[in-house]
Amino acid sequence: MPERLRFLSMAEVVEGMVLGKPLVVTKQGIIDFTLPAGHALTETNLRQMRLRQVEFVCIRAEDERTEAEREAELAADAERLTCIFSQADLRDPALAGLHAAVLAYRSL
Amino acid sequence: MPLHLLPGQIVQRAVLLPAFPLVVKDILHTLDDESAALSTLSDLVAKDPVITARIFSMANAAASAGSGRREIRDIQVALSLIGMARLREIALTVSIAEFSRACRMDRNFWRHSVAVGVATQELARQGQFSADIALVCGLVHDIGSLWMARCQPLEFQMVRNSMEADPGLDIIDAERLHFGADHCWIGAVLASAWGLPEPVVAAIAHHHDPEPPLDKLVAATHVGEVLANALDLASPAPASVRHLSAAACTLLGLDWSQDMTYLFGCIEARVRHLGRFFD
Repeated sequence: MPERLRFLSMAEVVEGMVLGKPLVVTKQGIIDFTLPAGHALTETNLRQMRLRQVEFVCIRAEDERTEAEREAELAADAERLTCIFSQADLRDPALAGLHAAVLAYRSL
Repeated sequence: MPLHLLPGQIVQRAVLLPAFPLVVKDILHTLDDESAALSTLSDLVAKDPVITARIFSMANAAASAGSGRREIRDIQVALSLIGMARLREIALTVSIAEFSRACRMDRNFWRHSVAVGVATQELARQGQFSADIALVCGLVHDIGSLWMARCQPLEFQMVRNSMEADPGLDIIDAERLHFGADHCWIGAVLASAWGLPEPVVAAIAHHHDPEPPLDKLVAATHVGEVLANALDLASPAPASVRHLSAAACTLLGLDWSQDMTYLFGCIEARVRHLGRFFD
């Protein structure tokens, strides 16, 4: 099954989720706590993260959507993005770049 | 016929708004003071029972995640646990959230403000400059709209009507049509009268400029608002992207052809996290 990266706030994170990117917490410029990408979060990790006021983490999760659901979601995202950028001149390189970056992010 | 507003009239009519929290100004001023210690900051926040309660709540949540200590009731202990940077962020966010509640504006208005606050702050963190001031710039960037809604509700509704009738109409043009001024200028007048630092005033004044002045906080607020709209962070509120200054992006070191997954994901997740203060 394909996987996808998801950025979750701490309220949405539960034990067993797998980090999609390393977690690095710094305190006054010094690394205070770190976990590697691919690490499965334990209850102890979650307590340690709450203690350090971690706000969000990047999780790697199985993409349980069917191909049709993925395509439908992407089409809906693209349509919404077209609406949001409807007053923008996409010949402008900065606007075109941002538009493409958001579309790429939505297709993750 | 548009109004002809003078700065003095804007400030005078602002008595219709709740008092802007002075603690925001005081905290921002401590950022310029290298010698400002944790005790100075704790004295400031201790004056506000709502902020103090929130700090105790967060400190106790952190402590209970640790070794099951007894309940924290001492502000110094709480502050030593959550740290100075986090304390400033909590104090700034909670005080502006309380102000927002007192203003009784539409929830979407504040969702958008939180989204721009987080996006602006993340851009500042990435660029390694003034993250606390950046958060405030984003949270209060539309303060002029608040004044318009509370102090001139008829004209505010006319702006909304004009935009509904012509979806292509820029909000700045619609506001100038009915108010003779836009929310950026009105917001800057208010922020200046409330004694907010000059960089915050400049960010409010120029966040809608197609080519804002080349200042990092102004650029971050400008791009922060564009990102909040592009990522649809205040959904279901309407979102529109019209201008994006290439010079502001360059100043912030942004290259849209690079992988933006972390920046966008971090902003989205933090907006959901911080949104709890407002919801």
